[in-house]
Amino acid sequence: MRKFLAVISRDIKSGTRDWLIIYLSVAALLIALILRALIPGVSNSAMNVVFVEGTDSNLIAHVESHATVGVVSDEAALRERILRMDDVLGVLVEGEQYKIIKQGNEVMPMEETLKFVLNTYKGQSIDLPIQVAFSDIGWEISPLKLEGGSLLIIFTTVFGGMLIVLNLVEEKMSNTLSAINVSPISRTVFILGKGALGFTIPIIGSIGSVLILGFAGINYGMFIISVICIALISIIIGFSIGVVNNEPISAIASMKMVFLPVLASIFGAMFLADKWHFILYWSPFYWAYDSIHAILLNEATWQQVLVNCGIIIGLTGLVFLALRKRIAHGLR
Amino acid sequence: MITVKNLYHSYTNDQAYAVKGISFEISKGEVFGFLGPSGAGKSTTQGILTGLLPLQKGDVEVAGYDMHHRKRDMFNKIGVSFEQSNVYNKLSAIENLEFYKKLFDVNTVDPMKLLELVGLDKVAHKKAGTFSKGMKHRLTFVRSMLNNPELWFLDEPTTGLDPAIARQIIEIVKQKKAEGTTVFLTTHNMNIADELCDRVAFIIDGDIKLIDSPRNLKLQFGEKLVVVDHIVNDQKIQDKFSLINKEDLDKLNTIIQTGRIEMMHTKEATLEEIFIKVTGRGLE
Ligand SMILES: Nc1ncnc2c1ncn2[C@@H]1O[C@H](COP(=O)(O)OP(=O)(O)OP(=O)(O)O)[C@@H](O)[C@H]1O
Ligand SMILES: [Mg+2]
Repeated sequence: MRKFLAVISRDIKSGTRDWLIIYLSVAALLIALILRALIPGVSNSAMNVVFVEGTDSNLIAHVESHATVGVVSDEAALRERILRMDDVLGVLVEGEQYKIIKQGNEVMPMEETLKFVLNTYKGQSIDLPIQVAFSDIGWEISPLKLEGGSLLIIFTTVFGGMLIVLNLVEEKMSNTLSAINVSPISRTVFILGKGALGFTIPIIGSIGSVLILGFAGINYGMFIISVICIALISIIIGFSIGVVNNEPISAIASMKMVFLPVLASIFGAMFLADKWHFILYWSPFYWAYDSIHAILLNEATWQQVLVNCGIIIGLTGLVFLALRKRIAHGLR
Repeated sequence: MITVKNLYHSYTNDQAYAVKGISFEISKGEVFGFLGPSGAGKSTTQGILTGLLPLQKGDVEVAGYDMHHRKRDMFNKIGVSFEQSNVYNKLSAIENLEFYKKLFDVNTVDPMKLLELVGLDKVAHKKAGTFSKGMKHRLTFVRSMLNNPELWFLDEPTTGLDPAIARQIIEIVKQKKAEGTTVFLTTHNMNIADELCDRVAFIIDGDIKLIDSPRNLKLQFGEKLVVVDHIVNDQKIQDKFSLINKEDLDKLNTIIQTGRIEMMHTKEATLEEIFIKVTGRGLE
């Protein structure tokens, strides 16, 4: 463990002195910020709540002391209002129940706050159980945000792979690998240490991107598992490129060759009709896109995510088998 | 400490051997010199002994470890200094050593002390990338001392260094030798081998021609020479005369009686001359 951490902290120390590596580490976040600037209707962080005309005016007054309140003529108007780009929650009163109507991409705490505000109003009559029902009326996201976000998240893993390439090329170039090979660190620990940043950077980068782009309500468990799976293949490709190149320029040139299938399979998934998708099944990045896209839409199921991860790991296994000799040989 | 039996190595996995069935033993505390011209197979042999190259054919035991079944923890006892310096350019001298130090499971030496030893303490916090060749070489050299190795591999430890630094390195090796460290020294510098080694092996074309102590070699192959600078017809010339050759002795006598001698001294055969005599080849 101590040796493992030594390898990682060396990579970090060395990385902070290399502009290219610093850039690769924050590239995802920068792109997320740019995307965000391009997306219209940046949400307002204050809570917005709409009621239908005729709702109990005491309730409206109560909520008004915590949020900006609007009143619309009927339920249809309320739903229409919610579907707009900004974050607005609707409240329908049905007998003793409150129904919170949301679009689905609202910031989580806002909904919780509204529940709390409503509860405190209800709470005046202690006997009544507090029931709040939910109704989702769809996840409406601008395509730029959704597709850009999916693409970006998959690219964070490629950035992670590139990071590994650069760190390995450094070892090859200075032949410090030989010094490592005559030290009492096992090859496995060394490889794990070298690979660790290839996981960490994508995880941090993709979560950061998700937050910046305002996808905060997604299932993080599914998300992180998917990111790790995709990172795995980028890392293996990174290792295989890193160990055979002795200087960064040629390594980056080979790395660019990896971008090609990544882009091809993602754009294919975006633009091809479903019946043609089978021609992309060979690409782990296609499955990655499929998972990430669904997760961002909040439509993913565990089954889908795990099946896709399985496929990705399977394909990665094949790639690994093909490249294993090359990696082992290059590390000598 | 090291036992090598019938070691062969081919880079091409065929009969073109870079090392052809060599055998030798090195005992604990011995400084063993591996001497030979470029391409003789010195680095190849050291590569196999340190596990950097796979053991293809033959038996090798290093520090009690059978190299057919290499174990990484053997490197707790071993230090390896490389012919070409290899350090992390983006890390400072001290950071280089501190990183490497963390890879050991045994007690290690204070990195700053090591830097002081080779005069790098003033630049300890400078990035190794800014170092001159000699400075990087010294850093690589002291890195191999971090774990206080019982067995120390030195590949051309002084080649390409200026004489003062080379001297520093030689003195450090002598000091370690006095402390009982076993040293496997690869070099084509015969003077250094002569000064440091208990025994030397002459290797040429992947084959060991002979193994003996420098002293025995000189007794066996060396003949005492007298070198005379004298003036003949206003021209200064230098002649060498063997003290065991009758003809040479007569010539020398004549010069002493009739010639104008500027300088005269006896000279022992150098290891280099013996090498040429034994192998019929020079060292470059
Ligand atoms: N990586 C390699 N691939 C193929 N052949 C090699 C390789 N390394 C060395 N050789 C060959 O093996 C032979 C022995 O080389 P080696 O490097 O062991 O010599 P050396 O005695 O260390 O020479 P030097 O004094 O130049 O360091 C040479 O003929 C060399 O060309
Ligand atoms: Mg050599």
